[in-house]
Amino acid sequence: MRILLIEDEDTLRQQLAATIAAAGFVVETSADGEDGLYQGAEYPFDLAVVDIGLPKMSGIDVIKAWRKAGKDFPVLILTARGRWQEKVEGLEAGADDYMVKPFSEEELLARMRALLRRSTGWAQSQIQCGPVALDMTAQSVLVNGDKVDMTAYEYRILEFLMLHAGEVISKVKLTEHIYHQDFDRDSNVVEVLVGRLRKKIDPENQYKPIETLRGRGYRFAIARSAEQAI
Amino acid sequence: MTLSRRLLLSASIVLFVFLGMTGLVLDRAFYRSTEEAVRERLQGQIFALLAAADFNEQQQRLNISEPLPDPRLSSPQSGLYAGIYDSSANLVWRSPSAVALALPRYTDDEIAKWYFQRLSDEAGTEYFSQSFTVAWESSQGRLNRYVFQVLENHVLFKQQVNRFRSELWGWLLAVSIILLIAQGIILRWSLKPLRDVALDLDSVKAGEAERLRENYPGEIQGLTAGINTFIDSERAQRDRYRNTLADLAHSLKTPLAVLKSGLKDQTDEGGSVMMHEQIDRMKQIVDYQLQRASAAGRTTLGASVPLKENVARIVVSLNKVYADKRIQCDIDMDDALQFPGEEGDLLELAGNLLENAFKWARSRIRISASLQQSAAGKQSLKLWVEDDGSGIPESMRKEVLQRGRRADESVSGHGIGLSVVMEIVSVYGGTVAITSSAGLQGACMQIEIPCS
Repeated sequence: MRILLIEDEDTLRQQLAATIAAAGFVVETSADGEDGLYQGAEYPFDLAVVDIGLPKMSGIDVIKAWRKAGKDFPVLILTARGRWQEKVEGLEAGADDYMVKPFSEEELLARMRALLRRSTGWAQSQIQCGPVALDMTAQSVLVNGDKVDMTAYEYRILEFLMLHAGEVISKVKLTEHIYHQDFDRDSNVVEVLVGRLRKKIDPENQYKPIETLRGRGYRFAIARSAEQAI
Repeated sequence: MTLSRRLLLSASIVLFVFLGMTGLVLDRAFYRSTEEAVRERLQGQIFALLAAADFNEQQQRLNISEPLPDPRLSSPQSGLYAGIYDSSANLVWRSPSAVALALPRYTDDEIAKWYFQRLSDEAGTEYFSQSFTVAWESSQGRLNRYVFQVLENHVLFKQQVNRFRSELWGWLLAVSIILLIAQGIILRWSLKPLRDVALDLDSVKAGEAERLRENYPGEIQGLTAGINTFIDSERAQRDRYRNTLADLAHSLKTPLAVLKSGLKDQTDEGGSVMMHEQIDRMKQIVDYQLQRASAAGRTTLGASVPLKENVARIVVSLNKVYADKRIQCDIDMDDALQFPGEEGDLLELAGNLLENAFKWARSRIRISASLQQSAAGKQSLKLWVEDDGSGIPESMRKEVLQRGRRADESVSGHGIGLSVVMEIVSVYGGTVAITSSAGLQGACMQIEIPCS
């Protein structure tokens, strides 16, 4: 999952970026409104965390510009002022949630996960497709109730595919959402990772959870459990 | 006394004095000219009598040949009488009209002099009298002295003057009424811009307009521009004050966020927990004090803002944030209801109340409002926010309304939100109460804010 963090306070931006990265997300950062607007408009992101008080362009204007350009990824706004006028303006501009500074990092991560879940149509942080269960908070994977150990990248790929269960995800899109933008997109590392994932969650080749669609990409083929959809 | 009454009163006084004087002058002029006309007419009668007179040498007396020059002289008691007296003041001839009348006599008889005077007879009847004394030379060369006197009853003159007076004053009264009405209309039209300023100010006070209009006449543009400058500077000052506070919050809370975020690197667990607690406390103090200080309250040129529209904005926003809870929030109030204060205060009030309701509710919230009339005739706005959560026990309700208290530690931020609500409501002179919701079975927050 690729997250865009726009915050002008250097120390806070670095701390938050480290926290978000440690939670298993790919983070790109920006220190002002104009650069943030450019990044959000030009690169694919799954979520943006935007401070309202930004130099060059306010966070609210950045969100408005994204929405006008058709960008629909969820946006969480950070506000120091905490007045309702500002929160309402932010939410009306197109943000999906807000946090008032100072906040706890756990709460920020929880809100981010909730937004990611909601944006992909899942109601809970434990998402289930057939025998495969993924807990976004604990970042753990269970198959038929048994825990499966996996690396950070394997988890990211599975999480992305499961959140978008049933959709065809191109290799480029998958790469963009789980790696930093300077990653070498021509390498076959994604294919290797998908191959390893298949072996870990379906060693018997019984459920065939991840389909390869030649020339188009991958699809998580097991339908999501009905009660979990929003 | 109002401006228009002052102007109307002074204009009426001036008008009445002017028309009164005009009336008096006209009356005097008419009286004089009528009197002069009587004098000339009587003089004419005397000339005519002189022409008709003839001295009879044999009888040695003066005769007046018939017919008499004015038929009224032949008709008894016609109002016009004539008499001729000799040098001993004996009546030698009288007109048939004067038969059986005791007419008053002339007083002066200098030869060739005209005497015009007003005389009364014994019965008190008034006459205009014109007399003229002539010396008539007989053929023997003897001079006979005669006084010709013509009298006209004063009643005729009086009737003429009275007719003129009633017509003159009637017309003057009609003219003054027309002028007064015209004056009233002109005044109304001239003072309209001032009434418009007052109406404009009312709509600024009521929040229907931002400032006064600019298209006023030159004479009051200085005043309206001054008021507009005052309105603008008052708003600018309020905004500056708010922005300063918001900047202060921003500059305090960002370092707090850095501190809080940096604490995870600390190895001293106990110290870290203590630091987190203290940072949270500082955050709460900053939040509470700043929100308290920035509550605008009702100002003289304060606005009133549409209630339902702003409540709906908050509900839409919160529905987004609490999308997972899928809460059904009903807004039950009239579209035209107005909140008697600042938009910022209303958003703060409704935002905090509704956010608490969204936190506590299971699936339903109802926010309703209406205008209430007290026994003393004062209006107040009543607002109810109900939820279907677990409610607030009676014993806790007072505490919940106190600063920093929390009814349930598991949901953060409850205390601060309600204290901010209390602070804003008290700035407006209103009250906050917590009860149980009869319909939804959870908590019911009641706010009452007086309308003026």
